Order: sequence, then C-alpha cells, then structure tokens
Amino acid sequence: MDILLIILTVILIVAAVMTIRKKDLVAAVISSSVVSLIASIYFYLLQAPDVALTEAAIGVGLSTIIFMITIRRTRRMEE
Amino acid sequence: MIYVFFGVIALALVLAGIRFVIGPTTSDRVVALDTMTTISTALLVLLGLFFKRYIYIDVALIYGVLGFVGVLTVARYLEGGL
Repeated sequence: MDILLIILTVILIVAAVMTIRKKDLVAAVISSSVVSLIASIYFYLLQAPDVALTEAAIGVGLSTIIFMITIRRTRRMEE
Repeated sequence: MIYVFFGVIALALVLAGIRFVIGPTTSDRVVALDTMTTISTALLVLLGLFFKRYIYIDVALIYGVLGFVGVLTVARYLEGGL
C-alpha cells in the first residue's frame, strides 16, 4: 500500500512540473489531465468518493475539452 | 493476496508514467494518458474491494464512462477536426 502511495505522489509531482514547463500547450493540457486523474485517486483514498466523482467528471473530461477548443482557436506553441 | 494486486497495478502505472514523461510526440502522451485512465479504473475497483464499501465502485463506473472523452477530443484535434 505504501509503495502505491509513493508512486502516485511521484507521478503527480512530475506531471505538475511538466504542466508548468512544457512549451507545447497540448502536452501541457495532457499533463494537467494526469494531475487531475491522480488527484481524483487521492480524494478516493481519503474516503471522499463524491469529490473524486466530481473531479473525474470535470477535471479529466470537461476542462480538457474547453482547453483544446481554446488551443484550436489560438496558437499551439508558446513562445 | 490483495497486496500482490496493488503491486502489479503500481508497476503498470510506473510503466505508463515513463512513457508519458519521455514520449517524444504528443500521440505517445495521449495513449499513455488513456492507459493510465484504464489502470486507474481497475485501481478504484480494487480499492473499493479493499475498503469493503461496494458503493465506491460507482466512482469507477463514472471513470469508465467519462474517461475517454478527453482523449477523444485531443485525438480529434490532432487529426485536424474539432
């Protein structure tokens, strides 16, 4: 159980750093989706399944769609 | 016995995470995200079994229904539609 928590934390931190540092905005949006996924598992582990449900529906699904439509209307690369 | 399952799922998450970090193209990262969503669904079902609270499996159902929508949107963008 502890090794699972360590691995989840490492993936969460790496994905959060990639969200900030990436110049390709599509990769940054995918990294943000991974952060939301792992955070949802953490909410689930902390005995809050309703928060995990909302985080999964909004963070993984809805925000990715809105960000991709926005990138489509503007530029993909950040200078 | 259930700790063996946790170890297998942790190993699968590590492998998908490595491909997600070092993936050269965007398509590799999208496929890694989809793989991690599927592995997380299995992890949520296993945790519901571990906590002995079967109402928690509904969260895994929502994951299974809504998990692929973001991947579908990114794939549609890479194809040129959207």
